[in-house]
Amino acid sequence: MNRRFLLVGLLVVIALVAAPLVMSQSLINAGIQMLIASLFACAFSLLCGQAGMLSFGHSAFFGAGAFATVHAMDAMGGAGLLPTPFMPLVGAVTGLLVGLVAGWFATKRTGVYFAMITLAIGELLYALAPHLSGWFGGEAGLSTMRMPAFGLSFADNVQVYYLTLAWVLLCLGLLYLFMRTPLGRVALGLRENTHRMRFFGYNVHVASTLVFAISTMFSGVAGALQAINIESANYVIFNLDLSAQVLLNSYIGGVTYFLGPAVGAALMSFFGYVVSDLTTSWLLYQGLLFVLVMLFMPRGIAGLVHAVAQALRRCGFARLWRAFALYLGATALLVAGTTFLVELLQRLFSQDYRALSQIGGNAWPDIPLFGASWAPLSVLTWLLPVLLLTAGIWLLARAARHWRRALALAAPDDDSPATTGGGRLVSGASS
Amino acid sequence: MDYFIVSLLNGLIYGLLLFMVSAGLTLVFGMMGILNFAHASFYMLGAYAAYALQPVIGFWWAVVVATVLVGGVGVVTERYFLRPVHKYGHAHELLLTFGLSFIIAELVKLFFGNYPVNYRVPQALSFSAFHVGPSAYPFYRLLIGLVAIAMFVLIYLLLTRTRVGIIVRAAIRRPAMAGALGHNVPVVFMAVFGVGAALAGLAGAIAGAFYTTSPNMAIELAVMMFVVVVIGGLGSLEGALLASLIIGLSTSFSVGVDVSLAQVLAYVGMGDWARGIGGLLTLKLSSLSGTIPYALMLLVLLIRPYGLMGAKE
Repeated sequence: MNRRFLLVGLLVVIALVAAPLVMSQSLINAGIQMLIASLFACAFSLLCGQAGMLSFGHSAFFGAGAFATVHAMDAMGGAGLLPTPFMPLVGAVTGLLVGLVAGWFATKRTGVYFAMITLAIGELLYALAPHLSGWFGGEAGLSTMRMPAFGLSFADNVQVYYLTLAWVLLCLGLLYLFMRTPLGRVALGLRENTHRMRFFGYNVHVASTLVFAISTMFSGVAGALQAINIESANYVIFNLDLSAQVLLNSYIGGVTYFLGPAVGAALMSFFGYVVSDLTTSWLLYQGLLFVLVMLFMPRGIAGLVHAVAQALRRCGFARLWRAFALYLGATALLVAGTTFLVELLQRLFSQDYRALSQIGGNAWPDIPLFGASWAPLSVLTWLLPVLLLTAGIWLLARAARHWRRALALAAPDDDSPATTGGGRLVSGASS
Repeated sequence: MDYFIVSLLNGLIYGLLLFMVSAGLTLVFGMMGILNFAHASFYMLGAYAAYALQPVIGFWWAVVVATVLVGGVGVVTERYFLRPVHKYGHAHELLLTFGLSFIIAELVKLFFGNYPVNYRVPQALSFSAFHVGPSAYPFYRLLIGLVAIAMFVLIYLLLTRTRVGIIVRAAIRRPAMAGALGHNVPVVFMAVFGVGAALAGLAGAIAGAFYTTSPNMAIELAVMMFVVVVIGGLGSLEGALLASLIIGLSTSFSVGVDVSLAQVLAYVGMGDWARGIGGLLTLKLSSLSGTIPYALMLLVLLIRPYGLMGAKE
């Protein structure tokens, strides 16, 4: 199992290294964004998934890293001790220091209080930043230039891609190793039972602050990579949107698994890149997906993969293919129905449509969508999504029945009821 | 003096509005341990519902219907979203309501556009109540405050003087025992959640007409609400009232004060030093007014981490 895991990891790394050879410029840019989002999500999940502290203000540390890097790039000019490839170190140090201060406050409380305090710290920075134009450049933000170093010009984004990739892989490795250190094990203890940790004689406040600072340190690296990539930073980076993004991505990916958040963030930012031209409602889909994951699949995509792998090992593909096919069909129908409904409503309530109905004389002009035009007052238009959704739900119920039957027929397995998707997430945090 | 009176009134009324929303949040938390991130979204839903209904059925009916509608949304949220995930713990519930607030904000953008809508105080209500010096004080502001006070009195009487109130309080303190005595505790929870949502909706319907009604109003208020409950102590109604008033007053007074730390330090002969440092020290208090609540919160966390009125952990 472990060897297979290593092999898959190696293949992924090779694919990531080879990717720029075949990708277009804009895809490479998307790739950089995906890598940065993955690192940020993993740093966030160290705190949230492993240590059970739910942060709503992680953009503060991402932003701090980004701004510090922009300042360092300006001040150093790529010369001296910090040539461009080492700039993320500035982000790391800034993230660590800011995290130590913020974490000391935030970890005074646990559970939902902690979540609210991190939210308020993030908003504090967001409210303060535009007034401190010396540090954050006011409304316009700051911009800088990547300087050449070690014979590399960093003028095209392929070199930036490799720089980002190297840092992200390094940081993911360090994060993985951190979980093996005593402090990493203490982080797990903080999630599971804070009281017991206290009885064991650990200083819970100090330990929480340290874990918090480690998480923000890697967030700072992600912010620094972002600053190197776009050569600028704006105070909008402190907005809650970014904190919400990393939270949604991590949970969709599966926050308790080490690579789950990275997968979730990479997938979500890739989809965001693909559909950003097609729809204005991407955030709505993302929110819907998040709520569905929280309701039915609390371990996220990684948990789903885990459950499928386990079921395959128990029953074999022959017994399960029917359920898989049904699940795929149901998902396709539900996605089609939801997308159709949302896009139809979006167009119906858009300003363009209102303008069109005023000048055209026709109060309800047809809506062009998916290569056809739909009359908003026709029953058929609304029947289609309803039918799609109903059929999807019906298929889903059938698929679930097949799945349960297949599992029940298989030999009763040892310990893990992972297929029900149950299990504790960060419940241990509230005290 | 005029400035003082106007700021005092504005601060009091903003504080009361904050309290009107955070009261429901605190009640629900005290009862179920759920921190409802979507609570401020209910506030926004109330404003948008009243805005959409106002041209059809008039302002007052719109307020009433919006309140009931949002209460219904709250009941559905509790029954079909929160109850199934209760077994995963409170953090999971918080995340779920966070997702819901995200969806509600996006839906509002989808239906009403990503910009403030033109929800205004009706003509019949936009007159001045009295004059403070040269400036007129709008009656509608007083109305917001009055509604908040009336609501507080009603809730207080309901909880302390009626049979329903006794059952609700019993379900808060000892849910298992109240259930054993034959009361349907899940229904009580659902009802309290619904009433909390309805109150937020009412606040939104009334206050949305005066303040801006935009898709961002929920998140702005949510953050402020959380600051209120951290300062006041979660689960404590009195704490929420006190913290709301403190925040309302401090924000409204600081807007008009053009003093910076450097000017204060100048009295002890350190003005030049402070101006040399720049940054925070030379910022005027008025431009910092948005950050004062957060600073207050951090201060409270330092001195009394469990909140002004909260129970010690």
